[in-house]
Amino acid sequence: MSTPAREMGRKDASFEREPARRVFASELRECRYQFKDGEDEKSPTFVLLPTGERCNRIFIVGTLTEKQRQGEQNIFYRGRVVDPTGTFFIMAGSYQPEAMQQLAKIETPAFVAVIGKPTLYRKDEASTPMVSVRVESINIVDKDTRDLWVLDTAERTLDRIEAFATGTGPDVLKAKEQYPTIDPVTFRKIAYEALAQIKI
Amino acid sequence: MDFSEAADRISRKFQKSGQTIDPKKIEGKLRRLIEEFSVQPSEAERSVINELAKEFNIPSMGTGGGSGSGGTGSSGTENKKIADAAPGEWVTIEGKIVALAAPASPAIAQGGIIADESGAIRFVAWAKANAPAMALGAWYRIESAVVDEFKGIASLKIHSGSTIKEIEEDRTLMPTTVPISELHPGIGSIRAKVVQEWDASHERMLQSGLLGDETGTIKFVIWKEPGKESLTPGSVYNIFYSQVDEYNGRLSLNLNTAMIMQEEGDIVVSGGEATVSGAIVHVAPGSGIIKRCPVEGCNRALSRQNYCPVHEIQPKFTYDLRIKGWLDDGEKTHSILLQRDVVESLTGISLDAAKEIAENNPLGMDEVFLQMRDKVLGRYITCHGREIENRVLVNKCERVAFESGKHTALLNRAGGAS
Ligand SMILES: [Zn+2]
Repeated sequence: MSTPAREMGRKDASFEREPARRVFASELRECRYQFKDGEDEKSPTFVLLPTGERCNRIFIVGTLTEKQRQGEQNIFYRGRVVDPTGTFFIMAGSYQPEAMQQLAKIETPAFVAVIGKPTLYRKDEASTPMVSVRVESINIVDKDTRDLWVLDTAERTLDRIEAFATGTGPDVLKAKEQYPTIDPVTFRKIAYEALAQIKI
Repeated sequence: MDFSEAADRISRKFQKSGQTIDPKKIEGKLRRLIEEFSVQPSEAERSVINELAKEFNIPSMGTGGGSGSGGTGSSGTENKKIADAAPGEWVTIEGKIVALAAPASPAIAQGGIIADESGAIRFVAWAKANAPAMALGAWYRIESAVVDEFKGIASLKIHSGSTIKEIEEDRTLMPTTVPISELHPGIGSIRAKVVQEWDASHERMLQSGLLGDETGTIKFVIWKEPGKESLTPGSVYNIFYSQVDEYNGRLSLNLNTAMIMQEEGDIVVSGGEATVSGAIVHVAPGSGIIKRCPVEGCNRALSRQNYCPVHEIQPKFTYDLRIKGWLDDGEKTHSILLQRDVVESLTGISLDAAKEIAENNPLGMDEVFLQMRDKVLGRYITCHGREIENRVLVNKCERVAFESGKHTALLNRAGGAS
């Protein structure tokens, strides 16, 4: 009893990790709304998808087509990962040295799996926000993994579209408010086209 | 000290006789008697009731002049079974001191656990109470202590109004265990099996892991203290008077106060067979090839310096393979632990091959980690094993294969009426 219970709890309570959402590039590109859940400095930040789901983390698989080393003092890497629907912009900096080393090693083009955090940023005040993905880890994978990801992502996207149509949850309502001009049904066509590109 | 509970009780009593008395007024009277005049709480309650009964002319409410022997039968404090002691009550209990702990602050003279055949409760004797020190293993009658509650855990507060008498007669106490599913914050006794042992997450931690019985599992921890020994995975123990803590709605056991006895026999631990599918989104440090303690029955993972948390430096370690990571299906993230044969089949790297790399590659064990990570990170797999507390102990796994049937079904679903 010499150790207070609270300390023990905090040290190794298995906290819920934010799941890595599956989203196609053409949907992620449309995100304009980002929010924090909670007042705490450490509260997670979420990007709201137009299909009405928050994501703090995403899992993407596509083709790394370009990568660039940038910065003088603070080196970081930028890259483009292409899926059947569009392009993800990824970056890895010194805040994630392991991810940066992995990205630095990969020769383009290559199929890659990326786990990362989507973030909105603006080039300047006047420009529209862009979404980039801060890489937590990146790894070379095979074409089978890419095809599995397209199935997985199409399925999750269709699930979200259906939930959106009938949903009354706070994130769905927020998406309707934040993206009044986007009809999520367009993402169904995109999912169809992505699936149709898989040749078997 | 909080007098509102007793004040409310007295107020309700008079309410029944049709007399409304402001509990604040009662509280004031109690406070004055106990704090200024050091009257025992039970006595204070009795005398306040008598005074008010006289004031409002309700003779039946009074308890008469005689101060009953030994405090029993007085209205404020009753002889209670420990299991029935509810927060806010003044109680008199008889129990055995089953654990003593170093006081956490100078305001506390003594702390520990007192038990009777119905259960056990933590106690704290305030320094100001000037109570006699109680001895481990001895029986005491504690009169007029207050049951307090902090974050859902009850404890017995021994203050200046309490009296402590040692019970001389020889009594035996056989602790009774409860199923894990019926534990609640406070003190608990169980019969359980050590089903998992986790790597220590804190240098002061001797051991942590999971205990299980037929009804469920619970996390446990033992902190390093002289005389503390760790439990053997797979063995069954009787654990008496463990501290049951609650954090974020989850219970865990702190075994440092507990009496632990190894038992014969086995327990079939509840824990569902699970199959989880998804992508590996994280391969944790500590994956790859590891060194284990060679001491019989230990098998703990050693640090880089071949250090076992229990058996110290062990240069004659044995090698093992494991992968710890996260499997994510887009909705939920599962913690997975792949054992050696699963790692071998998933990565295609055998223990011998890994040993070869660890001993000859300039990066050593790190090289094994990197090669294994590159083979599994971002891949879709299906894992079979036992899921306990959101952690899947994987005994079989395979890569997810592309199903053209699923592909066709999704094309139909996406292309359907739009
Ligand atoms: Zn050892």
